[in-house]
Amino acid sequence: MSTLATLNFQNAASPLMEQLIFFHDHSMTILILIITIVGYNIISTYTNINIDQHMLESQPLELFWTIVPSFILVFIGLPSIRLLYLLDEVYQPSITIKTIGHQWYWSYEYSDFLNLEFDSYMIPVNESADFNFRLLDVDNRTVIPFNTQVRTLISAADVLHSWTVPALGVKADAVPGRLNQV
Amino acid sequence: MALLRVIPRKATPSVFMQQVARLHNIERDKIGNREVVGWGINGMYSYVDHIAFPMPAIRFKENSPEIMALKEREKGDWKKLSVEDKKALYRASFCQTYSEMRAPDGRWKSITGWVLFGISCSFWIYIWEKLFVYPPMPDTITNIEKRQAQLKRMIDIRVDPIDGLSSKWDYENNRWKK
Repeated sequence: MSTLATLNFQNAASPLMEQLIFFHDHSMTILILIITIVGYNIISTYTNINIDQHMLESQPLELFWTIVPSFILVFIGLPSIRLLYLLDEVYQPSITIKTIGHQWYWSYEYSDFLNLEFDSYMIPVNESADFNFRLLDVDNRTVIPFNTQVRTLISAADVLHSWTVPALGVKADAVPGRLNQV
Repeated sequence: MALLRVIPRKATPSVFMQQVARLHNIERDKIGNREVVGWGINGMYSYVDHIAFPMPAIRFKENSPEIMALKEREKGDWKKLSVEDKKALYRASFCQTYSEMRAPDGRWKSITGWVLFGISCSFWIYIWEKLFVYPPMPDTITNIEKRQAQLKRMIDIRVDPIDGLSSKWDYENNRWKK
């Protein structure tokens, strides 16, 4: 779960989220490299007292700083495309859970084996015990089997909602009249 | 049959140069008696002291009889000019020397002062907000027993077991890892 001090992603609870975190680290490395180079350029220009204000063109320099960023973009783009298609891979899920958003609670249906339906309300602050997380805990929790493929069909009953589990790296909009599959 | 004489066309200045010439005519009234000696920064008749532009477009001082006399003597042997003459010739064309342009002016002191003043103003505004604007923190944060219960629950449900919170808890011995 996220606390007030959380700055990064939560630890991954699924392999896809782990790949997303790795890609984020990879892109951040490249970004820090670029910022360091550009920052050094800016500072060295700013502190240099011998400045030629009439320096204009340099074709080789412009060629260099057009081609090198395109290489950098290829290095960012290839893992990004791979991850994009990896996220949409289809598997054989073992269980299907239907998630319906209402104002202002979620209702879940487990209809594969037993017809199980329940509503999940947030525990109000004045009814919560000492160990309850304020505004986060609910009365009936959504239980998902461990180490299996799970299909979630997400919809809404009234207005647009959004269902997400950050540690699993899933988020989908709950649109009334539409089923989104995660 | 009249002989057609081919009259060569005069090279007409471009529109840009015509505009520059028009502006120069306006500027000549503004600069007084000062001599134009070059292109300067952008072609306009202005005098600016700048370390990157060593030669302004116009001289600094107007041509007075004393300066004209000095310039006549300047055409001769320079060894015959005294140091004061050379300084007067320099100051006729320029306002500041390079050392004067580059001399520290102490602006950093007032800039630093105002920046620190602004930062302290923002701190005072924050203090006012804490006293008069914000509601009190919820007791899930201020009550230490509740926070400890929540922390124990976070450890029990294995929050961030890879490199976060639960990875620092020793489950066998029920204490934080050394």
